[in-house]
Amino acid sequence: MFLAVKELMHSKLKFLMIIIIFVLIAWLVFILSGLGNGLSTLAASTFKNMKADYVIFEEGSQSSMSKSLLSGQRVPEAEKLPNVDVAAPMGSTMATAMKGESSKNEDKVDIAIIGILPGSFLEPNVLEGQPLSPNNPTGVVVNTSLKDEGFKLRDTFQLDGTTESLTIIGFVENETYNHVASVFTPIDQWRKIAFAAPGSDKGLAEPVNAIMLQGKNIDAAEISNKLSGTDTVTRSEAVQGMPGYKEENGTILMMLAFLLAISAFVLGVFFYVITMQKTNQFGIMKAIGASNKFLSKTIVSQVFVLSVTSILVGILLTYGTAAIMPKGMPFKLETSLVVTYSIILLVIAMLSSLVSVRKITKIDPLKALGRVE
Amino acid sequence: MTKGLQMKEVTMIYGEGSNQMKALDHVSLSVEPGEFAAVVGPSGSGKSTFLSIAGAMLKASEGEVRLNGNLISTLTEKQLSTIRLKEIGFIMQSSNLVPYLHVLDQLLVVKRMSGTINKEDQQFAMKLLEELGLGQKLRKFPEELSGGEKQRTAIARALMNDPNLILADEPTASLDTKRAHEVVSLMAQEVKSRQKAAIMVTHDERMLAYCDKVYRMNDGILTLAATS
Repeated sequence: MFLAVKELMHSKLKFLMIIIIFVLIAWLVFILSGLGNGLSTLAASTFKNMKADYVIFEEGSQSSMSKSLLSGQRVPEAEKLPNVDVAAPMGSTMATAMKGESSKNEDKVDIAIIGILPGSFLEPNVLEGQPLSPNNPTGVVVNTSLKDEGFKLRDTFQLDGTTESLTIIGFVENETYNHVASVFTPIDQWRKIAFAAPGSDKGLAEPVNAIMLQGKNIDAAEISNKLSGTDTVTRSEAVQGMPGYKEENGTILMMLAFLLAISAFVLGVFFYVITMQKTNQFGIMKAIGASNKFLSKTIVSQVFVLSVTSILVGILLTYGTAAIMPKGMPFKLETSLVVTYSIILLVIAMLSSLVSVRKITKIDPLKALGRVE
Repeated sequence: MTKGLQMKEVTMIYGEGSNQMKALDHVSLSVEPGEFAAVVGPSGSGKSTFLSIAGAMLKASEGEVRLNGNLISTLTEKQLSTIRLKEIGFIMQSSNLVPYLHVLDQLLVVKRMSGTINKEDQQFAMKLLEELGLGQKLRKFPEELSGGEKQRTAIARALMNDPNLILADEPTASLDTKRAHEVVSLMAQEVKSRQKAAIMVTHDERMLAYCDKVYRMNDGILTLAATS
C-alpha cells in the first residue's frame, strides 16, 4: 500500500488517465444497467410487483398472458390444490384512452387494462384516491404516469374503438405493463372491454387470462397435472414469457456482458503495460530483498485504489446523469444494481491485475545489475 | 563460527554440452567483517556472475557460499530473497533508486519490505542520512539529486537493514573523480565503523587505494593481487 500510494501521488497524470478511462467504463456500465432495469420495469413492473408466486396459464400458451384463456370458474378449484394459499384471476388487454372526443395526438394515450377482483391480493396499494370497488365497475385505479399525460382524479376517459368509458378513482405507483401505464379495472369490466366481440371468449364462462397463486411450497408440475389443460409456472417465468421481454433484456445484457469483457481486457492491458515499464525497478527492489508477495501487494493495492476511486466517480456521474435525463427515458437506478455492478467491476479489475502479478513473480533480480542480456 | 563472506571453490557454468561457458572457475575468497575488498577485471571476466552469486541472486553450479557461517548456496528462491533483505546491502550502478520515493522513504521502504516500521527505524534512517551528508535532502526525490547524492543515498539504503555484507557494483561508474572519491571514501568509512564485510566490483583503478584487498578476475579465475 505504501509504495502504491506514493507512486500514485508521484505520477498523477499517468494514473489520472487510467482513472478517466475506468470512470468512463464504469459510467457506461451503470447507465446501461439503469436503462436495462428501466426498460424491464416498464415492460413488466405490474407483473413483477404482484404478490403472486405462481401463475396458471392455458396449456400451450408459452407462459404468455396474451395467448392464454381460462375459465374463471377454475379459480376456486385451483385454490383447493395442495400448498396453494390463495388464488385470484387476472386479465390483461391493451387499449387506448381518449380524453373526451378529441382527435388531437396528445389526447390519445396507450394503456394496459389489467382486470382483477377488487380486494384480491393482486390489487396494488392506492397512493391517492380510492381502491377498486365491485359496486363501481367503471371506477379504475391507474399508474401515476398518466398524471403527466394530463389525467386527474375523477377524470373520465373513453376507450378508443369501444363504447366503454372509465373513471379514475385512484392512483398507484410503478405500475406499467408492456411499456405503457397500467389501468386496473374490476375483472367484470375488463371482460366487457376485452370480449366485446361475440365469440372472442371462446365460449368460456367468466373468461380470464391467467390465475395467480400465492403459496411458497407450490409444486408447479403437480398443479399442471391436477388441473387439466393448464400450465403452471413461477411468476418470473411468466415475466419472461411476456412478448418481447426476453429479447429486450437480452439485448441490454449482451451489451453489458461485452462491455465488461472489454473493460477486463482494457484494464488488464493498462496495468500490464505499467508493470512492464517498471520491470527494471522491480528487479532492483528484488535485488535489495523485496519478496514477490511485497511487490504483488503493491500492484494489487494500487489497482484497488484506482478501481474504487474510478467506480465511486462513475457512480456520482451516473446519478448526475440520471438527474438530468428526460422524464420519458426508461431509466431506473437501483442501489442494489449499482452495488452489484460496482462489485463486478472491482472484481474484474482485480482479476485483470493478476496478469501483472504473474509478470512480477517472473522478474529476475539480476536485472538490477543492468548487465544481463 | 566464521563471520563475513566465504566462497569456496565456486564454479559457475552457463549453457549445455559443447556450448558450455565457464564464467567462474573454482573461485575462493573470504571477506571478514570490517574488510573492504575490491574485485577488478575486464568486462566479460565473470565479475557480474561473481557478484550475483555473492549477492544471493544466482546459484552456483558447484562450490559453497557461506554468509555469516550459514550455507546460502542451497537455499530456495524465497529464502534467498529474505537473505538479500536481511543480510546483504546492495549498492548498484547509479540511478537505481525508486523514482517516486524521497530520500528518507528510499531507506524506509527496505524496512517495510520486512514488515512495518516504527519510530526507531525512522530515527536510524535519519541518522544514517545525516552521517552521509544528506541531512538537508530528506524530502528530495531522486530526480532532484546529483549523482553523488544518489550514490550516497544508495549507500545509506544498503546499510539500513544492518546487513553483514555490503556489495557494490561499479558504484562510481557515472561519477566524476571528485565525487567518486567522496563516495568510495564514505563507503570505506562506513564499512570500518560498522564492521561490515564489503566487496566492490569496479573498473576504476583510482578507487583501489580505499580497499584492504584487491582481487583480479580474468576469464573466471580470481587471484589476489594486492593486500594493504
